[in-house]
Amino acid sequence: MLFPKQMSEVELIVPSKDLVAVTRALSGYGVFHQVDSANLGLEGVGQNTWQDKAGAFSTLERRIQTIMQNVGLAEEYPARPGIDTMVDLDATRPQVDRIDEDVKGVSDQLSGEKKRLELLESQLRQLEPIADVNVEVGALSKSSFMHSILGVVPSANISRLRTSLLRVPHVFFILREDAQKPVVWILGPKSNSDVLERAAKSAYLNPLSLPEEFGGTPEQITAMLRKEIEASKQKISGLEADLAKKGALYKNELEKLLWDVHISRVMADSIVRFGQLRHTYVVVGWVPTSDLEDLTVRLKDASREILIETMATSRSGHHAHVPVALTNIKWLKPIQDLVTTFGRPSYGELDPTLLMALTFPVLYGAMFGDLGQGLVLMLVGILAHNKIFMKGLQSLGLLLVYCGFFASIFGYLYGSIFGFEGHLIEKYLHFHFEPTWLSPIGNILTILGFAIDAGIILLVFAYLLGLFNNVRSRDWAHFWFGHTGVVALVFYFSFLWVLNVLLGDTPIAPKVARAISELPLPFPTLAGAFAVLVMFSGFFRNMVEGHTLIEGKGFGGFAMFLVQSFMDLFETVIGMLSNTLSFVRVGAFAVAHGGLSLAIFSLAGEKPTIGFWITILIGNIFIIGFEGLIVYIQTMRLHYYEILGKFFHGGGMQFEPLKLNPSQEEAKP
Amino acid sequence: MASGVSGYAAISTRVRAMYSDLLTPQDMTRLGDSPDFSSLVSALKGTPYGRYLSGLKDNELTPRRVILQIRHRLSDSYSSVVQQAPEQTRPLIRQLFRYFEVGNLKAVLRSIQTVSSWKSEIAAWDRVREVLFPFGSFSTIPAQAMVESGSVAAAVELLRGSPYESTLSFAMKRFSTEQNLFPLEVALDLNYWRRLWAEAKKLSGKDREMGLKIIGSLLDLNNLMWVIRYKIYHNLSEEELINYTLPFGYHVRDEDIRAIAAGADIASVISRVYPNISHVSELLEHPESGLPKLEHLLKQQVMQRCVAAFIGDPFHIGLPLAYLLLSDFEIQDLVVLIEAKSSKLKDEDFRPLLLKTALTH
Repeated sequence: MLFPKQMSEVELIVPSKDLVAVTRALSGYGVFHQVDSANLGLEGVGQNTWQDKAGAFSTLERRIQTIMQNVGLAEEYPARPGIDTMVDLDATRPQVDRIDEDVKGVSDQLSGEKKRLELLESQLRQLEPIADVNVEVGALSKSSFMHSILGVVPSANISRLRTSLLRVPHVFFILREDAQKPVVWILGPKSNSDVLERAAKSAYLNPLSLPEEFGGTPEQITAMLRKEIEASKQKISGLEADLAKKGALYKNELEKLLWDVHISRVMADSIVRFGQLRHTYVVVGWVPTSDLEDLTVRLKDASREILIETMATSRSGHHAHVPVALTNIKWLKPIQDLVTTFGRPSYGELDPTLLMALTFPVLYGAMFGDLGQGLVLMLVGILAHNKIFMKGLQSLGLLLVYCGFFASIFGYLYGSIFGFEGHLIEKYLHFHFEPTWLSPIGNILTILGFAIDAGIILLVFAYLLGLFNNVRSRDWAHFWFGHTGVVALVFYFSFLWVLNVLLGDTPIAPKVARAISELPLPFPTLAGAFAVLVMFSGFFRNMVEGHTLIEGKGFGGFAMFLVQSFMDLFETVIGMLSNTLSFVRVGAFAVAHGGLSLAIFSLAGEKPTIGFWITILIGNIFIIGFEGLIVYIQTMRLHYYEILGKFFHGGGMQFEPLKLNPSQEEAKP
Repeated sequence: MASGVSGYAAISTRVRAMYSDLLTPQDMTRLGDSPDFSSLVSALKGTPYGRYLSGLKDNELTPRRVILQIRHRLSDSYSSVVQQAPEQTRPLIRQLFRYFEVGNLKAVLRSIQTVSSWKSEIAAWDRVREVLFPFGSFSTIPAQAMVESGSVAAAVELLRGSPYESTLSFAMKRFSTEQNLFPLEVALDLNYWRRLWAEAKKLSGKDREMGLKIIGSLLDLNNLMWVIRYKIYHNLSEEELINYTLPFGYHVRDEDIRAIAAGADIASVISRVYPNISHVSELLEHPESGLPKLEHLLKQQVMQRCVAAFIGDPFHIGLPLAYLLLSDFEIQDLVVLIEAKSSKLKDEDFRPLLLKTALTH
């Protein structure tokens, strides 16, 4: 739960004769993440001969899909347990050919007829607007003085076409307004015919072209076209009926063929990525260690002679190539979504979901502490999660429940219920309810100081987690000199000592900083020494990693290095200050919550009339909606910027197991 | 509809985090210092692109494969931004992303035109898929089926129901008579930018202002380069130039484009629109070498506008758009580096082509 699922690397040597059975075992259960053998640099691996077969299956699958589309059958992949083996191409292809041949004649006729209908309709659309013009259509193109272009043009091009003709005399008619294919007619002097033609062509104007048998006036031609269109539509209906009959005839056969060819294609695609030796195949991939035993049994069932080598992968070291399968606990799904929005943990890295599951609702609750409003938020979360109310928030439902729960806990501690606090509770709600801890609005500096203390604890914890991750990945350069390394942590303690000296006994002075300052350590010396180390941490990191120590050459390069190093120190100090003070917002929002409630009470007045209660009700809805959202943003910001950035890098590769049935494929985040 | 602070809280936080992961000019200089292609790949493995290259061994990597892998990062960035962006802005981001699909579509059509000259033992699809942008599940084009269809007409038939059907149905009439992909490619480009502009104009408030500013700057760059190239290289007439360009943008006005189309001095038009770009006349004197330099300078103008989007109010679509464009420019730089190192170009030949300099970061 603290880390992604433990993965084992699996290397198989599969005898050629058992290849298909083993592939079936690997792809049938959704636990094997394949690695392309071409990327492994294996020696003695020959050209994989399955490429053509995979291509042939792919083509065949598409042909079946096309046939099904033509006869009006839905493309479905019904799972047929027990028959998920690779089909023989030579036996299957004639079956598909037979059906295709039977269907193709009719479907080609249908497609041809549809195109013809489209053309006839287009010609009709172009001629209808000039149906009452009593001239021979052919005469338009035979004029001695005028050049005429009648046709359809993309509607988006009309304005540009007009602009392009501004320099030549012309008339431009839009004979038919249409969102897609307006009909236009351009007339201009014969002497400008080349300009008119170029403009029309470059605007993608498709001129009207009529078959020779369609002569006469527009009215005569439109009548002929209508007759042809009617006949064409009847022919199309007949052909569609024929295809539907063929669809019913071949339905079962096509569905079976589609499934068989589909799984064959999936398996062939996998085999293409196997390493092919003379009589065996090398298969490499990743399996969650918890599924390894089951898979091994299945593989042994599929092939007695298979050689299986498994290596549990340690979480230490760099593992950019190990796929990451996160442990999916449905109750933590919304928190996991928040984490993966920031980044997918890499294999050796701590998955911050559990930590965030605790800190996110607590920080939210501390900022939005109100017993009544917290419970309402919980209720909304439960209803949204169960799709009873505000279905759009379903994915956030559980997060609202957790945040609402902690908001109500803090409301209990702050003595706040629906914005009523202290004497207001007795006056209007007629019962006694005192803060169990403190009222933020009455103890502003205390709560702000407490927020900074909590922030320091969280930051130090985040630093420690960063160190932990560096140790696990054996990244010693960053362990010592990274921005959350040992040097940075000790410097942060020195920074807290300085903060304590500066703030002295003021109420806002962080108690944690004071406690750290009381440690028997030479903080002035530490502050100076570690400031120098922080300043040159880039230099030391380069030294540990074996990179060029100083970029740039000569005196100029060295001067630039010194300036950059000083800026690094400056940035680190500013960063530490802003990170620490950033947590003030937790206290500030707790105070603001009380302040906002007081504002609502000022609007409501003093007498408990209906108007008073309506104002309180609307005010509470406003606070829950508006402030609830802002606090959510602030909580997220604290996590993304202040906490996760200290120890979490992300960049993990998603675990994508082989699967036969596309409907079972995992939705990518 | 979520907008403003509520709509952009998560995405602006995320985009800022991703923005900090972009390579700095110093990183780019360090990568450029790599002595050869394999050292460059090793150096890239130490950057955020590392995870896209980690499964591959240096000695098995071809430049084309590395480029494909690093483009995956941009594809992931788009997916991430689309998922988190406020709903009303998603069509704009999706349309911006379609730029790469249009590129894929053009590559597929070109491959069909040239497939007969390829060695027969290598399947056409295997050749093509290596150069396609990894568009993933967003793709609406059946690329493999198109390549295997064997003819441009059959391939375009397969686009029925896609966003390109209508555009190509008009352009195919010209293709069938001219047997040249130029009209198809121009139609696809114009349609892409028109849709993108229309999506930006659908937004409101700050989103609209920033969307038009960033998309408009990019459109200016394309529109200017189109009109100049069509004029100088293709020798097209005024009416054709007008029809093959667009009448909108951020800085560049329709009058500017029309003036160039009508024969006005290109350098003076550019100098008026971009007063900080100097020596335009000299660049245009030798178009073969000057036009790429001019394009480079115009791209840097767009980059500066993108960087500026990160200053001030972060709750608008400008941030995600700017980040995506900067990521794209970064990958263009990396492609320059990869190609330069694999063909052993001298420093002075490729460094001036890099977009990311201290000026633009």
